[in-house]
Amino acid sequence: MRKRIIPVRNFSKYSDFSVAAERLKNHPRHRDYLDQVPQSQLEKLHIILRDHMQGLSLEDSLASFRLDPEEDLNKLDDEELARKKGQMDTLFERNRKRTDDPDFVYDLEVEFDKPNQEKCSWDDESDDEF
Amino acid sequence: MADDVGSIPELDQKKYDADEQVKIICLGDSAVGKSKLMERFLMDEFRPQQLSTYALTLYKHTATIGNKSVAVDFWDTAGQERFQSMHPSYYHKAHACIMVFDIQRKITYKNLANWYKELREYRPEIPCCVVANKIDADLKATQRSFSFAKKQQLPFYFVSAADGTNVVKMFREMIKRAVDYKQNPSDFMDEVMEELENFDLEKKEADEDGLKAESPEVA
Repeated sequence: MRKRIIPVRNFSKYSDFSVAAERLKNHPRHRDYLDQVPQSQLEKLHIILRDHMQGLSLEDSLASFRLDPEEDLNKLDDEELARKKGQMDTLFERNRKRTDDPDFVYDLEVEFDKPNQEKCSWDDESDDEF
Repeated sequence: MADDVGSIPELDQKKYDADEQVKIICLGDSAVGKSKLMERFLMDEFRPQQLSTYALTLYKHTATIGNKSVAVDFWDTAGQERFQSMHPSYYHKAHACIMVFDIQRKITYKNLANWYKELREYRPEIPCCVVANKIDADLKATQRSFSFAKKQQLPFYFVSAADGTNVVKMFREMIKRAVDYKQNPSDFMDEVMEELENFDLEKKEADEDGLKAESPEVA
């Protein structure tokens, strides 16, 4: 086990989290270590850091990432949306099949049979538009 | 005229009139995975061109249909409400539409009705499909029947941008349908527009022949 400390430089509470994350990821001295770390995770760390600099508690900061499946994300601004997307990316990365996976198939087709399909509870009859 | 509707100065939408060019738009709420689907389909070809002012990301792809090569432009749009005024230019001259929702968020499914209604106001006849994304997160979702697509008689796909399930199949079929539509448009407006363009040409030729038009208000 080795520990490596990567300093965050030139970052203030007014800085752009995504620019900062990208700069860190492409930093000549650190990029080899950060290659496998998703951009969204680095963005998240920067957002938490900036929230802290702006006086937000860690708890409140983390709560802003939490996903509420009922929430209409169309109403969010770019940064709020980035927080939610970052959270979703965690699951995406976990389930992701990459080209270097031995069982990767580019043109993966799966048939889903429909014999005993349940009616979806999302289709309630009260909805005229549907 | 029509081009005011589709006016994005950086983009010449006239090119979509050429035979070997099609435009396919991706619609759906924020964070349903539209860009992730594009990325999975295009792989090494994935070179997004961002027009942030218009909340638009363009992807270029070359497809082979039969023995002909077709240039496909994918218009990946933002779901955020503040970009609603841009929607007319998304729809302008589109040849097919991919509508995406997230099987983990009911609201994104419910909103399909709004996206579809708006699409049909601008493009009443272009081929369209419904895509249920993120099935990797909950495979049981594939046991459910989502009736929206059936009611609107649209093809329906269960896909996962993460593990790749049915992504390539869906895109290939939609490209094929876009090309078919373009060769044989059933949209009344398309035919009218085509007529009008011919009409303009004829008029110009007449003018050049010295037969000045009797409509002095045309400056």
